[in-house]
Amino acid sequence: MGFFETTLASFVALIPVTLAQSLILSFVVLGIMIPFRMLSFPDLTSEGAFPLGGCVCGVLLAAGASPLVGIAVALLAGFLAGCCTAYIHLRFRIHSLLAGILIMTMLYSVNLRIMGRSNLSVFGNPTVFDWVPGMQPGFPPSKIVVAGLISLLVLALLYFFFKTEKGTAVRAVGSNPDMAEAQGINVWAATIGGIGLAGAFSAGSGALMVQSQGFADVNMGLGILINGLAALMIGEAITGKQTVLRQLAAPFVGAIVYYQLVSLCLAAGMPPPDLKLATGLFVLTMLALPSLKLSRGPAAAKETFRE
Amino acid sequence: MLEIQSARKVFYKGQADEKIALDGLNLSLKTGEFGVVIGSNGAGKSSMLNAISGSLVLDSGKVLINGDDVTPMPVHKRAARLARVFQDPMRGTAASMTVAENMLLADLRASKRTLRPGLNATRLASYKERLAVLGLGLENRLNTKVELLSGGQRQSLSLIMAVGGSPELLLLDEHTAALDPRTADIVMQATIRTVEALKLTTLMVTHNMQHAVDFGDRVIMLDAGKMRLEIAGEEKANVTVTDLIGHFSVKTDRMLLAS
Repeated sequence: MGFFETTLASFVALIPVTLAQSLILSFVVLGIMIPFRMLSFPDLTSEGAFPLGGCVCGVLLAAGASPLVGIAVALLAGFLAGCCTAYIHLRFRIHSLLAGILIMTMLYSVNLRIMGRSNLSVFGNPTVFDWVPGMQPGFPPSKIVVAGLISLLVLALLYFFFKTEKGTAVRAVGSNPDMAEAQGINVWAATIGGIGLAGAFSAGSGALMVQSQGFADVNMGLGILINGLAALMIGEAITGKQTVLRQLAAPFVGAIVYYQLVSLCLAAGMPPPDLKLATGLFVLTMLALPSLKLSRGPAAAKETFRE
Repeated sequence: MLEIQSARKVFYKGQADEKIALDGLNLSLKTGEFGVVIGSNGAGKSSMLNAISGSLVLDSGKVLINGDDVTPMPVHKRAARLARVFQDPMRGTAASMTVAENMLLADLRASKRTLRPGLNATRLASYKERLAVLGLGLENRLNTKVELLSGGQRQSLSLIMAVGGSPELLLLDEHTAALDPRTADIVMQATIRTVEALKLTTLMVTHNMQHAVDFGDRVIMLDAGKMRLEIAGEEKANVTVTDLIGHFSVKTDRMLLAS
């Protein structure tokens, strides 16, 4: 077999596993998208909230709690982490990125304290993936079904929410906080709630990941943010972001496509250590593209015109 | 009714560049009255509007709307009682949201926001009707994102958003200053029509002396954070642009002498 066939064969063999993984990780991408796009609040909390959710869920599973309880408590912990970041930013006027770094760094210690050690095996404990009827537990199809159903549910709920009176107000805070405030919207409440929600999604993703992989590790969030951003960029390139639905679908579509691409690169023989560099360069390119386009004639003229 | 009682605000207190923005300012506006505020740059006009809307916290003094002390209230709480149109068309609207969504945001300014769907047929129909008054065709662009509208269209939208629900107080912060003369005229005419039709208590800041002469029941001139001059009634009816500019030049001369 030639290089192409080998690559294709190993890539195809990995599609279900990768799909299951990407559906689980799509919630982190969601937890990155909501602050960035819905609230204009560049946020790094997810890098800490993801392992936080994993550690909380791992400890609870090891203690014999139900997998649903594990996820629920992880969601709550992630919500609080997000709220802290938003509060630090609003109350002390610390830049949102720095606030996120602070929380993320402090969460590393918190995560270690929660677990009492750097990793914890929960292999063999019950998980939410065991409950799919007619399927052998622990195999990719059951994970795809469970994570896929949760994705659809979350997507539908968020879509509905952002179209309600409250949800429209939250989006206004991201679009123009001065205007939102002048229209009677409590900017603090909306920001804290929104960033908290994003943290909850990141932590929920960590909890699902722990149940899927059978262990929790304090380092499991390393680089998740940049992966998530790359996934979001791809998703937005595919779905666009003109409407709320497209913007909400972007994290899910992006996660699915991004992790398949990563899997393809690895199957083609790319050394795993180079992956973060490649991802980083990809995100940089995607972020740089608009400004490269802007530096040409017409766009600059538009900016002058606006004044 | 609006009352400002001995409002005082000092910026950079105790520093070399200390600036007294409001120096014991007193002002009262009767219900349904239309006040026009003029004054040179740095006279305290913006500080006064910010103090009324809540984005500026006073060092001392009070702001009362219809007899209720709103001084301790943050901006979003006061929004239930007052509406404001900013000078910058970008500030008054949410650019990445549609015309209809912006109308919805303003529509719920004074009410509690629920988890019910925001836009529905009834609301869309009423927004359409309210926007049609402008004659700018905005009623057919309900699903257009506001960032695609021109400055004049955005400012007209801001105005319709502000007057919706008849706020107890309408603040107009040089709201036609950033527009071209023709658009400024359209927005100004629409302002006067709605203010008169709804009998809104209005406070308008302007640098356009013709507007100050033509519109409003009372001209209020601010200087160094205090009220310098008030022209109402018969005198207001007969005042000319030259008269008003005269009051500015006196001040300029004095400043020249002082410096």
